[in-house]
Amino acid sequence: MERFKVKLQLNGEAVELDVNPSETLLETLRDRLELTGAKDGCGLGACGSCTVLLNGLPTRSCIVLTAELDGSEVSTIESLADGTKPAPVQESFMEKGAVQCGFCTPGMILTAKGLLDRNSRPTKEEIIRSISSNLCRCTGYKKIVEAVEAASSTETPKT
Amino acid sequence: MDREYTIVGTRMTRTDSLAKVTGSASFTADLKLPRMLCAKVLRSPHPHAKILNIDTSRALRLPGVKAVVTAADAHGVKWGVFKYTQDHPMIAVDRVRYVGEDVAGVAAADEETALEALDLIQVDYEPLPAVFNPEDAMKKDAPLIHEEYANNINVHVHIEVGEVDEAFGQAHLVREDTFHAAGEAYSTLEPYATVASYANGYLDLWMPNAAPHVRAKALSNLLKMPLNKVRVRRINVGGHFGSRSEVSPGDLVTSLLSMKAGCPVKLVLTREENAACTRQVHDIQATIKTGVKKDGTITAKEFRVVYDGGAYSSTGPIAASIPYYVYEEAYRFPNVRYNGYRVITNKGIRGMYGAHGRAFLCGNEMQLDMIARELGMDPMEIRLKNGLKVGEETATKSVIISGGLEEPIRRAAEQANWTEKRAGLTEGEGIGMGCVAVMCGFPMGFRSGSACYVKLNDDGQATIVTGICDTGMGNESMAIQIASEVLGIPVEDISLVNADTVVTNLDPGAYSQAASFVGGNAVKRACEDAKRQILGFAATKMNHPAEDLDIRDRTIISKTDPSKSMPMRWIVREAFFQGKPIAATGAYMPKVDFQREWIKKPYGQMAGTFSFGCSVAEVTVDKETGQIRIPHFVAAHDCGNPINTMAVEGQIEGSVQQAGVAVLTEETRWTEGLLLNPDLLEYKVPLACDMPEIEPLIVCSNDPEGPFGAKEGGLTTRMNAYSAVVCAAHNALGVPLNEFPLTPDRVLKALDAAKGGDKS
Ligand code: FES
Ligand code: FES
Repeated sequence: MERFKVKLQLNGEAVELDVNPSETLLETLRDRLELTGAKDGCGLGACGSCTVLLNGLPTRSCIVLTAELDGSEVSTIESLADGTKPAPVQESFMEKGAVQCGFCTPGMILTAKGLLDRNSRPTKEEIIRSISSNLCRCTGYKKIVEAVEAASSTETPKT
Repeated sequence: MDREYTIVGTRMTRTDSLAKVTGSASFTADLKLPRMLCAKVLRSPHPHAKILNIDTSRALRLPGVKAVVTAADAHGVKWGVFKYTQDHPMIAVDRVRYVGEDVAGVAAADEETALEALDLIQVDYEPLPAVFNPEDAMKKDAPLIHEEYANNINVHVHIEVGEVDEAFGQAHLVREDTFHAAGEAYSTLEPYATVASYANGYLDLWMPNAAPHVRAKALSNLLKMPLNKVRVRRINVGGHFGSRSEVSPGDLVTSLLSMKAGCPVKLVLTREENAACTRQVHDIQATIKTGVKKDGTITAKEFRVVYDGGAYSSTGPIAASIPYYVYEEAYRFPNVRYNGYRVITNKGIRGMYGAHGRAFLCGNEMQLDMIARELGMDPMEIRLKNGLKVGEETATKSVIISGGLEEPIRRAAEQANWTEKRAGLTEGEGIGMGCVAVMCGFPMGFRSGSACYVKLNDDGQATIVTGICDTGMGNESMAIQIASEVLGIPVEDISLVNADTVVTNLDPGAYSQAASFVGGNAVKRACEDAKRQILGFAATKMNHPAEDLDIRDRTIISKTDPSKSMPMRWIVREAFFQGKPIAATGAYMPKVDFQREWIKKPYGQMAGTFSFGCSVAEVTVDKETGQIRIPHFVAAHDCGNPINTMAVEGQIEGSVQQAGVAVLTEETRWTEGLLLNPDLLEYKVPLACDMPEIEPLIVCSNDPEGPFGAKEGGLTTRMNAYSAVVCAAHNALGVPLNEFPLTPDRVLKALDAAKGGDKS
């Protein structure tokens, strides 16, 4: 089978990969690079549990082909903490009780991070709209919304 | 009841959350063992067929294939929760009974090879007539799916209390209605997976499971291996909701593959396989007849409930009973007849669900509202009038030891402004109430109890060893929190070893709502035993009566003279010195009637205690489109006393989503034996934007038996949130709504039917 050489900036480090053309980014991360924080909940782009940041934007890695990503920047959940210190958005997910089974959590957190990077003071409606791209079966989303609100740099203006 | 606790009742950050937010928490599919092979399963394309022959020779010749298994490699043992329901071989022997049934398994070096090998397995089938709906399946000339179940009736639960016909004869008002609800998909975000590793006669297993000890026992039976050689290990579980309670066909297939290949094997189901080939939820039709006095007192109930059981028994008798029980645990009715039929059809397998029974429970509550309306009563009043109170017995003789329905109703109504809201509703708006009570555990013989070990290490930190299993709700954190409270040491001083069958002791598991009430009690008792030992040594060492000593923040301290204190680790070391290290055991067995049996004797104490709950939903309905929205939702749940307030709220909020909002969207759709919406695009799990404003209310009845007064943490909402929503929709529309979920088409149909003169 034809192989593709792909250079990525992955979690701050340059990596060179030799992938087959049908390999998804999720497969590359999980199977090849043992970065299993991104989860395979559906493989169809429906659930968001495979979300990573691709050039800063939350992206479903199960429907992106690695072969197409040469020169891209990819960040996974494994890179979010500063050493052993969790990032503020991770802290607030913990403190607000936004984590239950945890299967959606990496994807949810990266979706929230992507939002906060673009908009540091999202309204509650903006948060709800943004995380509505991801499924959570456990929490009813209330505490996830509260966690993202808490993580935003200032108090969210209440409507 | 105002006891002061240090950590119980706080909004503690769950101990498992750090691993989960950093992505380091491993789930089964994340595991990678040396030499591990990839497994795939060949599945039946037929809803019902004889297997004439299976030829695996070509698959075996494919390079990279390490093992192929069929029923010939299994031991002819069938699975079923009860002796009388053991009907599921887990890997088809000579007949397949649903589309997706496991027929053969392949283990290969990689996924592509395994998939290619599946294509090379030749199975000759002879299709048989199939039946897809329980009423058809019960007909005389229907194809018989299992020889042992006449008329395809898998289970018939019959309960009869009092003089039912006489009571109906004397009733002031009698109503009879039929309700139907499509089954749901559990939609755990984690698709099913199993890793099996066989070496030197021992089998190690990881899979999302809700009770490792029960799972190991089932597999030891299926594999005809001694229990000590089948080890189910702890792993994170990506949601459960009932779906991970029982052994799964994939567990057997993966185990057999690993035993044959001599290597670790991993099977990960696709989302579609997870929906079509693991257990899903029963489709239910409930005919409900209720008789009341003029003042709204319920005098008689009669039920005929038909459960579409799919191809095999699974938890059969339990599934055919639970909706009834959570109803009789909430309301008083002296005369009742219940006939529950679980019927076998050629559809996928079904099990218990956290939100099981919505046709029955929504139906009862909506009918109660119809009766209230005819009597000119407020729906809240009729519920208060008939709600069970402490000291009373349910119809089948379970005593209520704490709680009662009144407080959750009053709290929820007050928070929701029930009376004012009801008076001020405008066109298209409605408000509704749903109630239920839930057993904390149920009789499972000697497996009903839990046992825990504690050891103190030489620096005064503790290790807790318990069979408690966490499928996402926070049970691990709960156990640590209880231990911290009793031992007087901070949470970070406690290590937990749990849910590993070689190490931990029996525990009923994370279903039947027993984890905090039963498992938590065992942890508490073990820690109390350890504390007693510590204080005994401290009394001698400090020359002070043990009764006046306590442990606070790693320190032994006199309760009356705080100047008298000593670091706890000194005492622990002293115990080592004396050759009596601090090691303790605790166990809890709930006070239930062990003679009770789901079919043979459905009477007696069902559970140690019961939780009570009331939900109030507000809806708006667009009569043009049939679209229902839920702007606001209040859920009051009596959890006895919360161990972790935030975790209990989380359970309540998740339940509003999985029952309350789901009753507008969620259904599995079938054409004959084919599941039409196995993926997450077509099966509508509610998103953040679909959610109401939720107000969770924790009611504290301080249970006399529960650890620190605790019962279970939120299941009442999971079994009454849908009732609140459908009652609110009924309130808004004023027409009977008998078909669930309340999708726009069903709402419009109900409105049309009512226009046609069929008024309720
Ligand atoms: S796994 Fe990628 S969206 Fe579900
Ligand atoms: S926490 Fe379980 S799916 Fe979100």
